[in-house]
Amino acid sequence: MKITVQDLEKSLGGSRVLNGITLDIPENRVFGVIGPNGSGKSTLLRCIYRVLQPEGGAVFLDGRPLGDYPLRSTARQMAVVAQHNNYNFDFTVGEIVLMGRSPHKRPFERDNAEDYKIAAQSLEQVGLAGFGERSFSSLSGGEQQRVVLARALAQQTPCLILDEPTNHLDIRYQLQLMELVRGLGRTVITAVHDLNIAAVYCDTLAVLDHGCVVAVGSPREVLTPDLIRQVYGVTARVQLDENGLPYILFRPGCGTIS
Amino acid sequence: MKEKRTMTSAQNPARRLQSRAGTAAALAILGAALAVSLVVAVTFGTTRLPVGQVYTVIRWELSRLFLGASIPDAWAPGTAVHDVVWLIRLPRLVLAAAVGTCLSLCGVTMQAVVRNPLADPYILGVSSGANLGVTLAVLLGVGAALGGNSVGLMAFAGALAISFAVVGLANVGGRANSVKLLLAGSALSAVCGACSQFFLYMHSADHAATQIMRWTMGSLAAASWPNNMVMLGVAAGGTVFFLTQCRTLNLMLLGDDTAVTLGTDLHGYRILYLTVSSLMVGFAVYSAGAIGFVGLVVPHVVRLLFGTDHRRLVPLCALAGALFLVWADVLCRTILPGNEIPVGILTSMLGAPVFLYLMARHRYRFGGGSV
Repeated sequence: MKITVQDLEKSLGGSRVLNGITLDIPENRVFGVIGPNGSGKSTLLRCIYRVLQPEGGAVFLDGRPLGDYPLRSTARQMAVVAQHNNYNFDFTVGEIVLMGRSPHKRPFERDNAEDYKIAAQSLEQVGLAGFGERSFSSLSGGEQQRVVLARALAQQTPCLILDEPTNHLDIRYQLQLMELVRGLGRTVITAVHDLNIAAVYCDTLAVLDHGCVVAVGSPREVLTPDLIRQVYGVTARVQLDENGLPYILFRPGCGTIS
Repeated sequence: MKEKRTMTSAQNPARRLQSRAGTAAALAILGAALAVSLVVAVTFGTTRLPVGQVYTVIRWELSRLFLGASIPDAWAPGTAVHDVVWLIRLPRLVLAAAVGTCLSLCGVTMQAVVRNPLADPYILGVSSGANLGVTLAVLLGVGAALGGNSVGLMAFAGALAISFAVVGLANVGGRANSVKLLLAGSALSAVCGACSQFFLYMHSADHAATQIMRWTMGSLAAASWPNNMVMLGVAAGGTVFFLTQCRTLNLMLLGDDTAVTLGTDLHGYRILYLTVSSLMVGFAVYSAGAIGFVGLVVPHVVRLLFGTDHRRLVPLCALAGALFLVWADVLCRTILPGNEIPVGILTSMLGAPVFLYLMARHRYRFGGGSV
């Protein structure tokens, strides 16, 4: 399954958020999208997972525009873990994970033993085996995020989209989550705020600024002091660790508004 | 990932009820309770009748219906005991059950459609629309051409007109979402309420005010077999329809964006569910006026015990709503000797404290993280 983005344009509330984005998403790799607040990361992902309709250009799945596919069939191709998961009603963890089977079901069809098995396996994968009966609202933020990840895993899609899911998680959960999705060996598209996390867990990075792609490449190619200054407006030092991965250092004064 | 919680299902009775076996048992118990209630409740009433006579009438009527037997004169239509049991009490109980099912089921649906645990069947202006219809019929004689039950028909028309107007308004300037539906519902309710009051104020006719008031309090007294057949059909049809929609109803509670990523566009379903619910409530309002709190309290009590999953909620609420209204109506007829209070007053009197009790309890947070 191949996802490509062609000349994507989108305005929100009268201002242009995406200005002709063209991207080739490599298969079975972790593809990170970075950029400052308002650069269009989330809007781009939301166009890919069909919550937003692009105004120009298109997202292609195996060469055909997304609009050609019914929602149910794209939901069998890509699963989403988004940043906001606040529900007004309380489900049990198991019920939420089982909903990940929805795209594989007709509306009247009941969940069968297979679905329950997949749901249980997904919970186990995120380290929440045995949590099925617990109420979702009683869980901590980190646990809730993992439940939603388990639901996405239960969709059994070749592609996983993470829309800044680690935003309000502490560092341990951020690392656990990234570690887990990286180990899946599936196509992962993720928006990342933390440049060091992007450097460690992504195979390819695309940098967005004002709705345009300003750089695409490996973390080492992309995360340079020049680019960080140009895009984020801060001065940072970039060093390489023993594996050749960049890590970014910030020092007092580097965020001075100029 | 090492966090261990000690609470297991054995320590949490509510969770135990949520198992499949628990749900099946609950359905069987509620179904049996409803059947027993109908049989027992028919012996209560403002007129005192010996229990034996009540059942004799029912036995003769049933054998006439199903076996073609002819009823002996002592129990035939026209005798007081026959008419009280077969033409007043029983139709009334059946109507109570059907209306109770409709209201509690529509409560569940509306709460899902507007994604708000405080929604009730009347949230989209159905009751104020019906109220306006009644006011117009009583005061201005609008719809008099519709014949005998022009007031009820105007209530039905008002209820439907308002709910479709709400859906239409919520779709202006982009697709309807739960917030726009709620806002349009409250705004149109206020307009209808004001119009009704304006007409009432301008006319200041006492008898009309009483008639309208009686109607807005809700009553099952007008029950009759022909209308009951329609109402039963609506209740059964609605229940079967929503039983097939449980998966989508569950997705609705997760919101539009999540539903899209799980392969379902909720927009069309929302309009469909609102239409079906409005029809169900419209018929309920036509038959029994506006009966409050059933659609709010019953779904919440069921949720408290059995969880949020609609695969349990829909069938259990259909039965629990029927059971609740049957007994509420029995109370109405017996609580004040020789007098009868409108069932809507009783459901509010019973329902509101139950609701507050639920709210005050720590364990039940209407499902949300906090209230």
